[in-house]
Amino acid sequence: MAGLLNAPSPPRWLLAELTYACPLQCPYCSNPLDYANLSNELSTNDWKRVLKQSRDMGAVQLGFSGGEPLVRKDLVELVEYSHELGYYINLITSGYNMDEAKIIELKEAGLDHIQVSIQASSQELNDFIAGTKSFEHKKSVAKLIKKHGYPMVLCVVLHRQNIHQMKDILDMAIELGADFVELANTQYYGWAHHNRDQLMPTQEQLQAAEAIANEYRDTQKGKMKIYYVVPDYYEGRPKACMNGWGTTFLTIAPDGVALPCHSARQLPNFDCPNVNDSSISDIWNKSKAFNYFRGDDWMKEPCRSCPEKDKDFGGCHCQAFLLTGDATNTDPVCDLSPLHHTVTDAIDKAAQTNQTVQQPLLFRNSKNSKLFNH
Amino acid sequence: MSLLTDHALQIAPGYRLQWEEAQNMFVLLYPEGLIELNQSSAEILQVCDGTKKLADIVHVLETKFETTGLESDIVNFLTIALDNGWLTQRA
Repeated sequence: MAGLLNAPSPPRWLLAELTYACPLQCPYCSNPLDYANLSNELSTNDWKRVLKQSRDMGAVQLGFSGGEPLVRKDLVELVEYSHELGYYINLITSGYNMDEAKIIELKEAGLDHIQVSIQASSQELNDFIAGTKSFEHKKSVAKLIKKHGYPMVLCVVLHRQNIHQMKDILDMAIELGADFVELANTQYYGWAHHNRDQLMPTQEQLQAAEAIANEYRDTQKGKMKIYYVVPDYYEGRPKACMNGWGTTFLTIAPDGVALPCHSARQLPNFDCPNVNDSSISDIWNKSKAFNYFRGDDWMKEPCRSCPEKDKDFGGCHCQAFLLTGDATNTDPVCDLSPLHHTVTDAIDKAAQTNQTVQQPLLFRNSKNSKLFNH
Repeated sequence: MSLLTDHALQIAPGYRLQWEEAQNMFVLLYPEGLIELNQSSAEILQVCDGTKKLADIVHVLETKFETTGLESDIVNFLTIALDNGWLTQRA
């Protein structure tokens, strides 16, 4: 009976990372640094099995992501199948290689929504950050998405090099007819962690940007919703990462590795299960990885006795690992963490980089990825 | 957005009301999000089919549940739903 009472809530969100291939080279990409070493993409039938088993368990929001999901030849077929299963289907794309015929074909297959990313509000900066000439094409794709009746989220990842464009970015979102704008301050995992000193904005830059976002939120009320994702390095408390580990989100990586969050494969000795070996039900309910941070038995102090532990669940375990070397430590973003100085040191270091030499960004591409071994 | 009593209400474009067997509840789906609905919210949203105005919605629900006095609760919920962009209204 205890087992039944403690059964985890079912997944509601399935993030299907169809491929690590991407024509863009954004230096804040959340994909693993060594993605080029991870081959063996799942087949169409593997993905259909994953989609069916996840839907049977209760997943209803589905994101097709990557890399760039448009690279997969079977994307339309997978959208069609997911629509039959009753998913609400989100395509998370750079828009690169999208054309009007594909937008129509995906709509007919049952795609519900498209999130397009743009890297900046000017061609020069967009194409520099993306490592690819793509700005004008992205804008025309965004207009076609609205022409064909999709709801559209425009996603702009914010960092030191583009945060001064906040006003222009929001004006561009209005011009393109976005229903939602996601202003996502860079989260420092994967490539972004490697490039942190060159990407992290200052507190002053963030305050100026947030004030503009708030101003537009008022004037655009009822027309365009603005989501502002706060940069957690500057917060005194950690985010409630993934709404709690293994409670809501299920990510499947291109090679079939199942992850409680899309950064979790970097955690050492974690032994993440693979959909080639186990059913989604066994992965979600029984695997060591998905049970690891459920509940609070894993917690050390100061989390264990903290009155806020049910609010933020100890924060982000990947961040704890990246900054303190131990994923079971309190997320050091929390100012109650004895290792909070790892965050303030990082802020200071980035500020010094800002004032002295401009170090080159390491762009996300296969050549650079091969610099990182397992 | 304020509730216009002479306008018909319907689920906003891009939003979808759906029964979820695994969770035994209705959910409202939209780009990258979902709202898990309690029974009364789900009952009200199911009636918002683009043809019914406030008075019609109250009538349908009071008839279905053989009761009266639901109007203020329904108005409260519809106002929240409009504010959040879940519903649209048209003349």
